[in-house]
Amino acid sequence: MTIKEKGYAHWDGKLEERRFNWWPITRLGISLTFKKKFFKFTFLVSLLPALIYLVGIYIAERIEDFPFIESGQADFLKTNPGYFYSYFTQGSLLFIMIAILIFSGSGLISDDLKHNALQLYFSRPIKKSEYFLGKISTIFFFIFILTLVPGIVFLLMKFLFAGNFRFFVQYPWLPLSICAYSVIIAVFLGLYTLFLSSLSTNRRYVGILIFAVYFFTDILFGIFNSIFHNQYFVLFSIRWNLKQVGAAFFQQKGHYDVPWILSLLVLTVICGLAVLVLHKRVRGVEVIK
Amino acid sequence: MNVEIKNLIFSYGKVKALDGVSIALPDGAIGLLGPNGAGKSTLIRILLGFLRPDRGEGRVLGYNIRSEQNTIRRYVGYMPEDDCFIPGMDGVTYTSYLGQLSGMPRQEAMKRAHEVLYYVGLEESRYRMLETYSSGMRQRLKLAQSIVHDPKLIFLDEPTSGLDPQGRIEILELIKDISSKKDIQILISSHILSDIEAVCSFVVILDKGRLAAQGEMDKLKEIDYSMFEMKLKGSTDSFIDRLRSLKYKIEEMEDRLLKVYMPPDRNVQEIFQLAFEEKIQIRHFVKSQTKLEDLFAKVVGVD
Repeated sequence: MTIKEKGYAHWDGKLEERRFNWWPITRLGISLTFKKKFFKFTFLVSLLPALIYLVGIYIAERIEDFPFIESGQADFLKTNPGYFYSYFTQGSLLFIMIAILIFSGSGLISDDLKHNALQLYFSRPIKKSEYFLGKISTIFFFIFILTLVPGIVFLLMKFLFAGNFRFFVQYPWLPLSICAYSVIIAVFLGLYTLFLSSLSTNRRYVGILIFAVYFFTDILFGIFNSIFHNQYFVLFSIRWNLKQVGAAFFQQKGHYDVPWILSLLVLTVICGLAVLVLHKRVRGVEVIK
Repeated sequence: MNVEIKNLIFSYGKVKALDGVSIALPDGAIGLLGPNGAGKSTLIRILLGFLRPDRGEGRVLGYNIRSEQNTIRRYVGYMPEDDCFIPGMDGVTYTSYLGQLSGMPRQEAMKRAHEVLYYVGLEESRYRMLETYSSGMRQRLKLAQSIVHDPKLIFLDEPTSGLDPQGRIEILELIKDISSKKDIQILISSHILSDIEAVCSFVVILDKGRLAAQGEMDKLKEIDYSMFEMKLKGSTDSFIDRLRSLKYKIEEMEDRLLKVYMPPDRNVQEIFQLAFEEKIQIRHFVKSQTKLEDLFAKVVGVD
């Protein structure tokens, strides 16, 4: 007898009260991202910088095995906080992260808005904060794979290749810097992406926005800086603000002579605005018309 | 009583959406009726815990609508009126995902998703991407997601909208089957009165934020008024005006047929007496079977 002939049957399980209600949302976000065309290729490419820096750590520790590397070049490979700073703030990595965001984040909220899916979420025991946490964690996952994970792997490899703890004794704060800076990048890019994703119901427009806003702020800085010759216009640029903050976290000198705290403030204000807009755009109460 | 609210008041700014509504719903299928702006959606929003009432108290499945909104949503199912889905998923993954969001363990949710998709007649299409579903299939899918976690109370918002006649009959059959389980209550909000009539035994009618009527459908249809159909010959205007002045409600149908709602304090002889006085011939006079449509027309107005 088929289930249709038997009639409606009860489920004999028990509904759980989960501590991490947002986790299914994150898991779905990650799996849907991997199903997208060209994403797997882009994702593999995004790991190349980390791989190159990892090879750099190995070469730096075994420099005597590479006699063709001149001493000046070897200095560049010297594994110190500057090396980590260079990895975390390199333009190519940030560019790749933007590309990953376009794949993983552009449709996170815009698709829900387009297909009226918010009511499916909020008619279940999901709070708004859990919904956002689930969505932003999808972005965290990919950003951490490009920041936190390589950072920790670099540290471990440095320890393995060096065979001693001298590096850790010399820079005991470095693991903390890696974690903190990775979190800052992830939170900023996460909120930046969700904010833009909530502005349109078309994921393509959102993808363009993610890309355009990031580069537009950079171009704006370039234009103003060349006209007024004032370094403080660096605060207009998302990329340079992230770099300035990165320099402070890895105890390096920033490229521009502008207090890093101002850059952090700018990033914080953008995050604050993003939270406000998200709060307005995603409203559970409007799901039943 | 799974749903019980007392003196519920809610306003959107200066507009009063619900004005002192008190209802107690028994088990089974309940129809929620009312014209646009009557407060149906606001009532469902409050029962689902999206809105906090300005005044009044209520309990859904024994949980307080003010303080236990999340718990309420765990045990209720909701089938929205709008076309809604999550793109990029197939039917079974989607249904299972929504089951997980309700608190089902992952594997159990997947197993149950297969069952409910079979139940609603989507067994053949459960591995198809949702973007390729027809509107009828999406309607069934919405029903499937609302029952995947085996809720104790299900809110169905226009469950048959966008369906062809056969699809509509099938969905109504499913709803009847679900509501036949003694421990599942269904609240159906619909504009299609015949759907409500086919499925529900109890009806709540809201009008302008107030409770216009509530009770067992059969009893409500019987109470305090009678309805007749008649055909007249002669100049009818004055006759109709006199009936209207005596609080009769008259609806002009096709083919010169009149539907007359007689107030409870009147009697049939009075109609014949007036016709005699107005020199009108009554050619056809039948006591009409009262339908939900008539009840609705009576409590919220013929127009």
